Amino acid sequence: MSTDAPATAAPVSPPATTPIRPVQYGRGRRTLTRSAGYLTLVVVSAVTVFPFLWMIATSLRPSNTVFGGPLVPRTLTPDAYRRAWIQLDYPAHFWNSVYVTTATVVIVVVLATLGGYAFAKLQFAGRQVIYVVLLSTLMLPITAIIIPLFLEMRTLNLLNTRQGLILVYVGGALPFAMFLMRAFFETLPDELIQAARVDGAGEFRIFARVMLPLAAPGVATVVIFQFLSTWNEFLLAQTFISAPQYLPLQPVLFGVVGQHRTDWPLLTAALTMSVIPIIAVYVRMQRRFVAGLTLGAVKD
Amino acid sequence: MTSAALATGRRRSIRRRPVGYLFIAPIVLFFVVFVGYPFLRSFYLSLTSWSGLGSPSFVGLRNFQVMADDPAFWQSLRNTFVFTGATTVLQTALPLLLAVLLNRGWRAGVLFRTLVFIPAVISLVVTGVLWQLIYEPNFGTLNEVFRTLGLDALAHPWLADPKTVLPALIVVSLWQSLGLFTLIYLAGLQGVNPDLYQAASIDGANGRQQFFHVTVPMLRTVTGVVVILNLINGFKTFDLIYVMTGGGPNRASEVLGTYLYGLAFGSTAGGVPALGYATAISMVIFVLCLAATLIQLRIARRSADVD
Repeated sequence: MSTDAPATAAPVSPPATTPIRPVQYGRGRRTLTRSAGYLTLVVVSAVTVFPFLWMIATSLRPSNTVFGGPLVPRTLTPDAYRRAWIQLDYPAHFWNSVYVTTATVVIVVVLATLGGYAFAKLQFAGRQVIYVVLLSTLMLPITAIIIPLFLEMRTLNLLNTRQGLILVYVGGALPFAMFLMRAFFETLPDELIQAARVDGAGEFRIFARVMLPLAAPGVATVVIFQFLSTWNEFLLAQTFISAPQYLPLQPVLFGVVGQHRTDWPLLTAALTMSVIPIIAVYVRMQRRFVAGLTLGAVKD
Repeated sequence: MTSAALATGRRRSIRRRPVGYLFIAPIVLFFVVFVGYPFLRSFYLSLTSWSGLGSPSFVGLRNFQVMADDPAFWQSLRNTFVFTGATTVLQTALPLLLAVLLNRGWRAGVLFRTLVFIPAVISLVVTGVLWQLIYEPNFGTLNEVFRTLGLDALAHPWLADPKTVLPALIVVSLWQSLGLFTLIYLAGLQGVNPDLYQAASIDGANGRQQFFHVTVPMLRTVTGVVVILNLINGFKTFDLIYVMTGGGPNRASEVLGTYLYGLAFGSTAGGVPALGYATAISMVIFVLCLAATLIQLRIARRSADVD
């Protein structure tokens, strides 16, 4: 499974697919099936997108006009955004999410690249055994180890710290990220390494100067996948952090429902702001997103 | 993957490079501290009784005996199976149909694909909160739509009624993961040789026959992966249900994940955290996921043998 994982994801990205022609019906029947198919796609996309449009529309309503009235509000106001920004202490939590996510992504990419390279290209005793052990828990759900993990964090005095959260995220994410990077490095030719060795380059230099630049697409996939899963993570953040000033966005968004149950513009404004970075990156880097997530699915 | 890597290892007779240990040391360290040790410790904790203060006391298999007599556990287990069964069937079949449809080539195909994939990049907290508002009984959009259409009888407190809460959650799960699994199938469809359809249509197979006799068999490996992913996602499900219902009303949507979380970290457990018992329940989730993984490995091996 390891080596063909990126290969299966790659074909997702190119937009044009070879259309598979169904059997030839009569012309009228053909048009009918096409129209039915088109209609299905339109309905499915509309149902998918509707909650987001509704979320944005609601967030722009004046706070006293939420219930009843037309779907698209007559007057639009950014008022709810201003209130969410101030009342929820939004900038602080947003910053916590940015900080935790950025640090996790950077550490995961650096360590997973190093490890993935070693498992793909360097020989050492026990390599295979260590590799299998690292991957053995790939399907282990977080709920299955959250209690011992919590106790360990408590012992290490890492509860209620963003650093602790980063460490746990890195620990949980590394095996899969390493697995992806290994698959990418495996596709690169050994001759490059041998040539560099002949030139007298050290092993680390070969890795950093020769091989790493060639693995850029793999790094990009890991970055995006990791960014997404860390930004969206809820369970560990909710469990390990209780001090309000260190909470990242997801637990805050969860808590907001209880506190502002009836203030829908504020709720939806808070949701919308949390989604903006993700959507922005998604729209710009769609291909890599799709590759990253379909790969990620194999893990989750 | 193991055997392939072993083979290349044997073929290469380059000299060993101990520097490799330096490259993997950080990963191994992180793994041992944040995955391996907690994982092993959970086996021991499941055999203890502990409130989290003082030290755990060893009670042998008593937690598992308690579990066998705990109606809340059985309720959670049943809900977990209902949720997992329904999501697995729906989220395996519907994405396949959608992928086949998308694969026929449409002018706006890329747009459709982009749109259905959006929920997959959004957090489950945002998804959960959003759908909570949609399902809200008095002002929620769903009931508003029914009332506007004159179908007042269909308006319903979806998440507050024990009969509708699980189906309502299953719909959200489907909405969230439809795009993701569709894309996995689309990737699989790219690998199907178009000549097969050509041959089938020369033999006079109609669209439906082509689907069942060409597409479905050719995609069986991908379908296997999708099924297993759905099973594992179902067994370990937590975020969506915790955010939307917290397992309520009256445990009608309680699953193993939310039940054990409440026992360990919630205030609903009668005040005292039951860490040992909660860990024993986490073992059940682990065993279910392990079983699904082993089945997947078996299928993968068998199909590798066939090919």
